[in-house]
Amino acid sequence: MDYKILTEDLVKLCLKKGADAAEVYLEVNRHLSVEIRNQEIETVEEASSHGVGFRVFTKGRMAFASCNDFSEKSLEEAITRAINMSHHTTSDENNILPDNQDISPAKELYDPSLKNIELEKKIALAMEAEKIALASPQITKSAGASYGEIEREIFLANSNGLSKNFKESACSFGVSVVAEKGEEKSSGGEYCARRFFTDLKKPEEVATKAAQDAYEMLNARLVKTQQAAVIFDPDVARAILGGILGAVNGERVLQGASFLKDKLNQKIASELITIIDDGLLPKGLSSRPFDGEGVPTQKRAIVEQGILKGFMYNTIVARRAGVQSTGNASRAGFTSLPGIGPHNFYLMAGPHHREEIIKATKRGLLLKGVTGYGINPVNGHFSGGASGFWIENGRIAFPVKGLTIAGQAFQMLMSIDMVADDLDLNRSFTAPTFRIPVMQIGGK
Amino acid sequence: MSWIDEFIPRRKFLELSFKGGLALAATPALLSQLLSCRGPERGQVIPVIDPQLLQRIIDYALKNGGEFAEVYLENRISRRIIMEESKFKSAVFGISQGAGVRVIAGNKTGYAYTEEINEANLKRAAQIASTIARGSKAVPPVDIKEAPRQSFITVQVPLQEVADEKRLEVIQRANQAGLDFDPRIKMVFINYYDEIRGRVIANSEGLLVKDELPLLFFIVQTLAVGDKNRHLGRERLSRHSGFEMFDEVTPEEVARRAARESIAMLEADDCPAGQMDVVIQNGWGGVLVHEAVGHPLEADNIAKKIGAFTGKLGQKVAADIFTMVDDGTLPNRRGTTNFDDEGTQMKRNVLIRNGVLEKYMTDILSAKQLKMARTGNGRRQSFRHLPIPRMTNTFIDKGRDKPEDILASTKKGLYVQSLSGGSVNPITGIFNFTCREAYLIENGRKTKPVKGATLIGSCLDIIQNIDAIGNDLDFGPGICGKGGQSAEVSAGQPTVRIRGINVGGTKARR
Repeated sequence: MDYKILTEDLVKLCLKKGADAAEVYLEVNRHLSVEIRNQEIETVEEASSHGVGFRVFTKGRMAFASCNDFSEKSLEEAITRAINMSHHTTSDENNILPDNQDISPAKELYDPSLKNIELEKKIALAMEAEKIALASPQITKSAGASYGEIEREIFLANSNGLSKNFKESACSFGVSVVAEKGEEKSSGGEYCARRFFTDLKKPEEVATKAAQDAYEMLNARLVKTQQAAVIFDPDVARAILGGILGAVNGERVLQGASFLKDKLNQKIASELITIIDDGLLPKGLSSRPFDGEGVPTQKRAIVEQGILKGFMYNTIVARRAGVQSTGNASRAGFTSLPGIGPHNFYLMAGPHHREEIIKATKRGLLLKGVTGYGINPVNGHFSGGASGFWIENGRIAFPVKGLTIAGQAFQMLMSIDMVADDLDLNRSFTAPTFRIPVMQIGGK
Repeated sequence: MSWIDEFIPRRKFLELSFKGGLALAATPALLSQLLSCRGPERGQVIPVIDPQLLQRIIDYALKNGGEFAEVYLENRISRRIIMEESKFKSAVFGISQGAGVRVIAGNKTGYAYTEEINEANLKRAAQIASTIARGSKAVPPVDIKEAPRQSFITVQVPLQEVADEKRLEVIQRANQAGLDFDPRIKMVFINYYDEIRGRVIANSEGLLVKDELPLLFFIVQTLAVGDKNRHLGRERLSRHSGFEMFDEVTPEEVARRAARESIAMLEADDCPAGQMDVVIQNGWGGVLVHEAVGHPLEADNIAKKIGAFTGKLGQKVAADIFTMVDDGTLPNRRGTTNFDDEGTQMKRNVLIRNGVLEKYMTDILSAKQLKMARTGNGRRQSFRHLPIPRMTNTFIDKGRDKPEDILASTKKGLYVQSLSGGSVNPITGIFNFTCREAYLIENGRKTKPVKGATLIGSCLDIIQNIDAIGNDLDFGPGICGKGGQSAEVSAGQPTVRIRGINVGGTKARR
């Protein structure tokens, strides 16, 4: 089936059935997932799938329908449903579709050789990682290892004459293990994900990190409730970036549901802080030539040396705000309307070595795990469960768990005083190690 | 869920969830990923298929060997309507259909699915799924025969017969009630969702079951803006039932509950940090035991001998007053179905009785591995997913204390009126929760509201430290995430008191 032609034809069909404007988003996926445990295959899952979403407009009113059955009857039914539902929604002059014909130069997103690599070679990565992790003396059990891959092709067309498509792939493997000492258990896991199979890390590297994460946390204890420095490991980047991401969503800003709503071009963080959203990063796991509604992606600073430089927009919200779309329309698959979301979203690296930051910390927490929702994007409150290592006199003293940390977003961001050079751009939502000199820590 | 989350292998996703706190993150974004649907009007939602074709596929799936084969067919029709800023922002209609074929041989499972249901595609799926069984011992399939199943879901006003205008009216009523509650309520976000899911399940044990499940999920969030604070309150209503749900609990009532929380929390002060006694109000607070105890009692990690409760069956694990139940038969509740996604009849399962661990929650595979009975907990997000052990309606059973006495006898601590959600590492048993609405307790009375605090602890400790259980059992609806799959659940509890939980606040201890 020529999906490009089908997508374009479906746009025409929407118009014929009564839509004033229409967009068709079609996805074709292939995925494979293998899970192993104790050196034996536990599950193998393999499937191909596809689906299509129709966004239609009648008199400025918007509605959406999706289906995964490509028979003519089903496609027509979905379109009819979408058009009928559009009669119920509220008309809005901002309800428009993009017409930008360009695509951005996001390169190396698809590994054509991935599907031809033998299954055995893929499974071997997970097998090898598990074997090495289990060989570590304190590791008692495997919680499983896995290999997964996905290939996806996206076709997008709309009634402004836009018709684009691109292909992407990704593969990953990982392992989780358990360390035990008496009644105490500790788990650790690590994975590696890449666009290209040959870029995957060696199993040793992944296995060593998984085992270390598990056994290093044995004998973890509580410390007293106190105020002390907190050093954020790259593994907990999400705890700080997640809330910022929610707060720079252009729609939430317009609605007043963001703690950053009045802060454009103002200082919101320490000068050491630059946050980038990059849709163009070569081989980036969240790079793409155009966003969820066809607007070319870009690389832009959201925060530059502590100054909030911009929010994220899709086409409709941008028009309402009186600005251009930033290419941040996001899609959670073919079943939903485009929202607003990031590409490769990261905090830029700083000048320090991680060891220097630890060394410069008299007393504090090296944070390796955070639970909870991170920074609340509406009001900036932050509170979470915490685990990691206690630092005394510039040295790692012992593991800690069962702690809490809490703070206010502005206070936290403004006071960041050291940023390390260990940024790993192979992750799409990431930060280097950084330090907040004082936070409230809850313990005994 | 992003593209990244989708392809990271499931186990790793679990690990990431601990790190990122994504499990049970009840966001509409997560929900939108899983919902899709098919076939318009009544009676057409259950997939139509010739039983002889099902038999042929099962036989074909076991031709290479293997002891169990299953075909799962699913159709889903869904509607979502979103109101923001008093505008019907969008409406989303979904039609989805598909079938998954599973083969089990020893501890190995093969799975494949197809979206266009015909003999050739089902055979191809069966072929892929059976690859893992090659050379293993074959157990001959039993001829399928349709089996009756008791129903726990009654419908008075079928969703298929509800005009879209009715749905819009419910949304508008909630919006107005939210705005009318207080001038400081600046906006109401409403997410209305309903679906009808039709299932056909057949397996090599001779099982053939079919049903059609309606589901309603109504989420109201209200944004209150005060002089120095801003708070987004939330209330959710969900049942497997017809549209009569809104007669029993009106949309206005749902909106007012959300608005009340928003306004109350505008006055919130910094929360103290450190260990303290915590009283949790009845209802959705049961998510505490859902996370802390429920997930570690799911049998998949027990079968792998890595779960926190491994080897503790028959042992005393909790205080005498503590009884915990998972019951998929509670009429029309969000976690209720007639049978699970493997066709096992729903049951009331007492997991912990008077402090003694009695049962794990199993699916077909873990029940076999542990040589235990099937409890009706094998659930899956859709035909694209393998069934895994999941909770249904999970709760702490009611006790004898009066809720007001529990509060009055607590000298100092934290009163948690509602929780957002939480997560647990089922191996170590370390859990966490985020409070939506909480107050200080001073001399047996609720006093100042405090900002969203985190509660953290270990599952084995917490159930030993529960020292008061009220007689006011109630439930709340939620979304549970595990291994990259979402499931609709409810969690419940009476008012309870837990001694010495670690609370994460911004203020040094009083």
